[in-house]
Amino acid sequence: MENNKEKRKLGKWSRRAFIGAGGLVGVGLVVGVGGYVYIGKAIKKYSGRDMGDGHSLNAWIRISPDNKITLAVARAEMGQGVTTSVAQLIAEELEVNWEDITVMHPQPESPYSNTFLSTNRRSNPFVGYDMMDKILAFLPLIATGGSTTIIDAWDSMRYAGATAREMLISAASAQWGIDRSKCKAENGYVINMDTNEKLSYGALSESAAQYKSDKLPKLKSRSEFKVVGKPIRRNDIPAKVNGTAKFGLDIKTKGMLYAAVKHANKTGYAITSINNETKILKMPGVKKVVLTQYGKALVIADNSWRAMNASKALSVTEENDGSDPITSAYLEQELNRIVNEEPIATKLDIGDVGDTISNLSDEEKLIEATYTAPYLAHACLEPMNATVIIKDGKVESWIGHQASSVAHTILAESTGIDKENITINITFLGGGFGRRSEPDFVRLAGAAAKAMPGVMIQTIFSREEDTRNDMYRPGAVCKLKGIIDKDGNAKSLSANLAIQSVEQNALKRIMPAMAPSPKAAKITLEGIDNQPYSIPNHRASFGDLQVPIQVGFWRSVSHSQNGFFNESFIDEMAHTANKDPLLFRLSMVQGKPRYTNVLNKLAQISNWRTKSDPNVFRGIAMLFSYSSIVAEVAEIRKVGDKEFKIENYYCVIDCGNIVNPDTIKAQMESGIIFGLTAALYGEITWKDGSIVQSNFHDYPMLKLKTTPKIHVEIMDVDELPGGVGEPATPPAAPALTNAIYMATGERIRSLPLSKLGYSFV
Amino acid sequence: MKISAMQLNINGKTVNIEAEDNMPLLWVLRDILHMTGTKYGCGIAQCGACSVIVDGTVMRSCSLPVGAIEKSMQIETIESLDANGQLSAVQEAWIEHQVPQCGYCQSGMIMAATQLLKDNATPSDEDIDRAMINICRCGTYNRVRAAIHTAAKNINQINLTEASK
Repeated sequence: MENNKEKRKLGKWSRRAFIGAGGLVGVGLVVGVGGYVYIGKAIKKYSGRDMGDGHSLNAWIRISPDNKITLAVARAEMGQGVTTSVAQLIAEELEVNWEDITVMHPQPESPYSNTFLSTNRRSNPFVGYDMMDKILAFLPLIATGGSTTIIDAWDSMRYAGATAREMLISAASAQWGIDRSKCKAENGYVINMDTNEKLSYGALSESAAQYKSDKLPKLKSRSEFKVVGKPIRRNDIPAKVNGTAKFGLDIKTKGMLYAAVKHANKTGYAITSINNETKILKMPGVKKVVLTQYGKALVIADNSWRAMNASKALSVTEENDGSDPITSAYLEQELNRIVNEEPIATKLDIGDVGDTISNLSDEEKLIEATYTAPYLAHACLEPMNATVIIKDGKVESWIGHQASSVAHTILAESTGIDKENITINITFLGGGFGRRSEPDFVRLAGAAAKAMPGVMIQTIFSREEDTRNDMYRPGAVCKLKGIIDKDGNAKSLSANLAIQSVEQNALKRIMPAMAPSPKAAKITLEGIDNQPYSIPNHRASFGDLQVPIQVGFWRSVSHSQNGFFNESFIDEMAHTANKDPLLFRLSMVQGKPRYTNVLNKLAQISNWRTKSDPNVFRGIAMLFSYSSIVAEVAEIRKVGDKEFKIENYYCVIDCGNIVNPDTIKAQMESGIIFGLTAALYGEITWKDGSIVQSNFHDYPMLKLKTTPKIHVEIMDVDELPGGVGEPATPPAAPALTNAIYMATGERIRSLPLSKLGYSFV
Repeated sequence: MKISAMQLNINGKTVNIEAEDNMPLLWVLRDILHMTGTKYGCGIAQCGACSVIVDGTVMRSCSLPVGAIEKSMQIETIESLDANGQLSAVQEAWIEHQVPQCGYCQSGMIMAATQLLKDNATPSDEDIDRAMINICRCGTYNRVRAAIHTAAKNINQINLTEASK
């Protein structure tokens, strides 16, 4: 059945006429672009712009006459090594020398859409698109987030390489007048197996571009991999050790100007007038003061320092809708009110939780706890910025952005210029973590450029503006109830969460057409409703807080707080049941070998079953997130009253097939430290409507001295790949606080730990 | 604030600039000279992304007024390390250990590590803890530590080889 369907698709597209090089994906790519037939006239265009000399074999691959391979990777490089790992997938099937590859970031054109991110389906342009994909052909989402890059690229980019290779073989076989089966591709050459003659890809690319293959190439099996699965050194690192890597703030040209952004001091307020413009205009280097239609002011000057100084000196009037200024006390009160009211949605409901509670027997134990988590900032080390020039009706921009298609749409709106006349150059990102998927800084950069046409303007947030005008990880309160039966098993678990809806709040800004109501949001309970344990009576629900605080995607999103709630409470249940926390978890993942294997491997590498030094304590946590399983053990040494040294983290990940083990390891290290920073120090608070924290002195980061040793084990599992950028973050906090419980007997139910009097050396 | 003409010695070259005396060196480097390897992270000497070496001391250029720098003082930035076309031992070790992630903090990290190894050829973990107080939001700290140990070993090896000639 499936095969027949496939054949039908192939039959259709193989009749499609060849359409000229460089312009349409249909070229060459006719191979496997089954989906385009269904889209009718909406054949996806790509320009191949800025890919250098040579001929494009599809939207992702160009080969120059001297055999240089240029690959288009439309995913943001923000530290995860994606320009390397995606290139590995293409290179594996293309059969080229790794050294001959250059990677570039293409314009936001529809072939580069991240289908998995937008549809949550592993569909593939080379195999065929489903209905949802057809819709997305018109609404491309070219974005890096949700740990989706490798999931989305795993098949599609290997097919991109394989179909290009087959086209090159077709061109060579025609030139030699021999059957394709007598040709093989190797290291950038097609080899005539009869004569050992060689033709370089560069020599073949022009004619190859006109070929189409009439069947989908077979992909290599795992055992044949030469590039995938290997710890290939990252191609972005050389420029990152000598200062030449260009981040958004590093775009410089003679005569450019700088626009420092000034937001309203109070959250949810807009600046309605500037009261000292004359004075500001007299400050050195200041060219212009702009009150944008977005309620934010810009001071444009001839260098960043002067612009930021002048923007700090602005006196403004700011207004809101008349509601009371936000305070942390108000947020706490509201979250606690909502968590005790009827939830707006129940996303998981197995068995009958209500019945287990009302019919509790004497032999059963009911435990209840309320957890809280604070609001958190992203604190990307490179503050938000974008550089834009409007000249002769065209816009050119340089932006470190996670979503080039979003940046494109926003710049069109704020400059008033058609998308066709806007160029988006994606630079390296000095941290992303979700923050750089937001449109705010792009919109303001468009407004700045529009205020002074013909001049390149770099729009910048000072660190203080960045900290106080983030899209925060929302604070939350979660009420949990659990029942342990007479045999010490988890019989019942329920969680009710009160929180602002990230999905509604963020998508309203990023992709308004996709923004759900809070009730319909899918991700609010992630880390609770997709947790790994089989519990016969299990319910998860949430209520919705509406306040004018912008909340957004923060590395691991809902898992970040829900993982802390759920994995701490599972630990409470284990201790109530008098069971070892690891064995308790193991008992609830029976029949799920991937989880069992992860837990057993973690027990082994952390020496879980060996009694440690009397001053050393361990805690465990495990989550499923972004299609990967990550479990961690925190090992801490008590050095004083409420004072600890975090000595080791043991981390096991099952992310299915491995593309680059070293970048996976690096993401585990990074994700753990991101989670630890939040657990130890992270908290954004409001006083009289304004955010209290402003910079790293009062929103501190974990530093080298406090960083534990991190031991990572990657399971070798032949399954579709999962994400790796985020999944190490959620278990970090509960593993630590579960260890603290072992050390002190104090159950940590709120964060950060510094606020509870704990310190870490 | 008065604007003065000043001479600075940056990476062994004399550079003439005009700026307010209180303009931080960071912005002179970045916005006047367009030397962008040195980064802005916080502006209050907390994060270390702006670290440069001035006369053998690691300094936060975001908080160092350019007027306080005498023209005899030697300013070294990240751009100086491979000026002869060859990476330094620290940079080589950074590549070997694949240290950077987003990379934004790494110029500052590398400058701090470079000076640490000049001051202390065989730093212990405690020495590294004390010297490396820069912020890395991606959390590359363990690789930073490992790369410093590797660089120290390699530098000492080179010194031994040269001494035995």
